[in-house]
Amino acid sequence: MLTPYGLDIIESCLACKMRAEHIFCDLPPAALQSFETIKYATAYPKGAVLFVEGQAARGIFVLCKGRVKLSICSTDGKTLILKIAEPGEVLGLSATVSGKPYELTAETVDPCQVNFVKREEFLRFLKEHSEACLRVAEQLSDKYNSACREIRSLGLSHSAGEKLAKLLLEWSTKNGEAAKIEPRLKLALTHEEIAQMIGTSRETVTRLFADLKKRQIVQAKGSTLLIRNKAALKAMAITQ
Amino acid sequence: MTAVTAQNRGEQYSCYMEHTIQSSCVTCDFRPNRLFCDMPAESLKAFDEIKSLGSYPRSTILFAEGRPVRGIYLLCDGRAKLSICSDTGKRLTLRVAGPGEVLGLGATLSNTPYEITAELLDNSQVVFVRRKDLMKFLREHREVCMEVVRMLSQDLHGAYERVRSIGMIRTRHARIMFHPRAMVV
Repeated sequence: MLTPYGLDIIESCLACKMRAEHIFCDLPPAALQSFETIKYATAYPKGAVLFVEGQAARGIFVLCKGRVKLSICSTDGKTLILKIAEPGEVLGLSATVSGKPYELTAETVDPCQVNFVKREEFLRFLKEHSEACLRVAEQLSDKYNSACREIRSLGLSHSAGEKLAKLLLEWSTKNGEAAKIEPRLKLALTHEEIAQMIGTSRETVTRLFADLKKRQIVQAKGSTLLIRNKAALKAMAITQ
Repeated sequence: MTAVTAQNRGEQYSCYMEHTIQSSCVTCDFRPNRLFCDMPAESLKAFDEIKSLGSYPRSTILFAEGRPVRGIYLLCDGRAKLSICSDTGKRLTLRVAGPGEVLGLGATLSNTPYEITAELLDNSQVVFVRRKDLMKFLREHREVCMEVVRMLSQDLHGAYERVRSIGMIRTRHARIMFHPRAMVV
């Protein structure tokens, strides 16, 4: 069967197999049933912009498949990537709830399936289903925690090297690589995007990577990075 | 940082405070103009039962970053400084919370360690609600739950605003120059 962008679209939340793993989606049957009636399943290609910072909030986007880049524009016009959202996350949540403009820009990194829910309908849904309301609160708390982490790293870190080391260590704990002595990670982002994640320039990131390779701390094979000296990376991540 | 209950030691601290101790939420004078507290009568009664009231002297640390979560703290009276800390102990003040604000909400709902440190700036009256009780309460009272969601959104907006302001200015010096609110202690 032909599908848009080669995505296997899940039309119904009720039949979704991934639901159990996603914090928000794992709703009680009654709530799920009524969510099903208000959501629109859509597919987006890579590089599509779901919403832009400052735009009036029109609803929430539940990410079913693919990844989405969340970025923020600083007061001097530079881009800072806050995080890469994974399937199961709800985007545009706080703006939709509070009725303020979107505070982030969301752009797809892969072809994505996204379930959109209009603001008025979502608010009504929350009022009727207290369990869903708690899930939303949980999602918001997670986002708040990661925003605090971001502030800590931006506001209190000294050097770009320290921030890059922290980022690599964080990535190396994903995909079950945490316990390995030499964890392997896939760099899904360009140097430019990594620079935007840690608030520095592309040139600095390239220079830092070259330095890490020279010191045999990491080894690159295509887009896969092998961390050979975790201890050295950890030492770099601690503020001098 | 020991809790002093209003019942036994309240008088001792009340003389330092601007307002008298409000022992019951139902009869509280501050309530009407506070977002969280102004809940339906029924919910208020239930809330009154699960809360515990305390008076704390200034510079009490209500909770510290990284500590296991116990519950939420509601500031009835007084102000609290919210800050985050680096591995080496350098501090960044996020903001100062005022009366009526709920602290530790994010951590409590997601059941993760407190992400910030809250320190009282005045002698304050504080209401504490245990995590377990709060979750049960929110499940049963939809309107309060909506209010909580709204408050969390506000917190998040504030945090993003802060990220935006400190995000791209690279040197510490410049950051302070451009943003006098960023107090690095």
